[in-house]
Amino acid sequence: MAKTIPFALITPTAIVCDSEAELVIAPGAEGEVGILPQHAPYLTALKPGVLRINLVDGDTQRRLELATSSGFLQALPNRVVVIVDAAFEPNQIDVDSAKADLEAATKRQQAANGDLTLYHREQEKIDFAQAKLTVASHSSMLAN
Amino acid sequence: MASVRDLRDRIRSLRNTQQITKAMKQVAGAKIRRAEQLQAQSRPYADALAAMLQDLLAAVGSVNHPFMKPGNPEAPLGVILLTSDKGLAGAFNANLIRMADLLQRAQPDVTWYAIGNKGRNAVKRFAQDTAATWSLSTQDKLLTAQACAQQVSDDFTNGKIRGVSLISPKFVSTLVQRPQNRTILPIAREETTAAATSEKPRGAVEFEPSPELVLSRLLPKYLEFTLYAAMLETDAAFFAAQLVAMNNATENAKKMIDQLTIVMNNARQAAITTEILEIVGGAEALAK
Repeated sequence: MAKTIPFALITPTAIVCDSEAELVIAPGAEGEVGILPQHAPYLTALKPGVLRINLVDGDTQRRLELATSSGFLQALPNRVVVIVDAAFEPNQIDVDSAKADLEAATKRQQAANGDLTLYHREQEKIDFAQAKLTVASHSSMLAN
Repeated sequence: MASVRDLRDRIRSLRNTQQITKAMKQVAGAKIRRAEQLQAQSRPYADALAAMLQDLLAAVGSVNHPFMKPGNPEAPLGVILLTSDKGLAGAFNANLIRMADLLQRAQPDVTWYAIGNKGRNAVKRFAQDTAATWSLSTQDKLLTAQACAQQVSDDFTNGKIRGVSLISPKFVSTLVQRPQNRTILPIAREETTAAATSEKPRGAVEFEPSPELVLSRLLPKYLEFTLYAAMLETDAAFFAAQLVAMNNATENAKKMIDQLTIVMNNARQAAITTEILEIVGGAEALAK
């Protein structure tokens, strides 16, 4: 049985990651989903959150953690594809601006006043900002 | 006949113009490459998105999403005019604006949206109501595309407009950019499947939460990306048009410099000849 599966993380501006993966854990719209090799064909919407991938490069393993915006994940028999608008690695995250985004979006959400569309839009921004902060704090914990 | 000094001044000013157009040509050349690179980088995303859409449409029988149903028939048509922010690119923007103008004449009931400052100015000239406008050359084109997609889809689902057309340049080649007009809302089913890669259906696919729900999230993304891709194409087409226009301008300046140089040489020679004749005439008069 194949232990790994080709994985690609694609944004409109770049292919962020394209390599063999052992496990992909993604923030699905209905809760986290974990994808192992030989998963049944599967397509789900992703909400903004933390995407974790166990990458395998020859004998070395690497755990990749990224903050992603909303998008989609598709598991095909021969590969796993994730498309999102934006994906940030820990070193690309500006903690201060993420905090500012979080605050601004929370304020706007509180002012939404029953406008559900606006409420959900702001929720996405809140989730994305929180994901950025989570990823950044994890990586700083590892560094210490 | 203009004096030698006047001609020399004109030649000097032409040389300056030529230098500017030459520099702009080189800048446009570099920017085309950058724009084409961005286009190439967006292609894997386009392929993945189209493949997912194809699987979804195969899975759901009848689509019950507002984006795929005709809009309010009484409302005006929404048209997005996509142009560049700057000029100096020959008839590039003029062609796009002419297409928009013809549409406006044929069909006065139009709500205009514009991306790009040239289009914004044109739309303000010939239409009373513009819903919203954006600049083209912003840092993050994706954000602009998202904002625009959100605006037009909100107006569409709220019944303010009956559909959305997009007037944008098609990058045929460096020499040819043609304006095109296509409908982007409601989304036609055939169009989305035609864009997909020719991979075969992959059998039963599991969807979470449900195919309909995933589709309702995918369609807005599809719209956003269509606009984003069109914006990248506009950028590439604009720089190509500018490259050609600046190349022509440089050549025309060269031609004018050559012509004026000949005229100037003639004038200088004439002045010398006149002077010699005067000296000779004066000398002869003294000798008598």
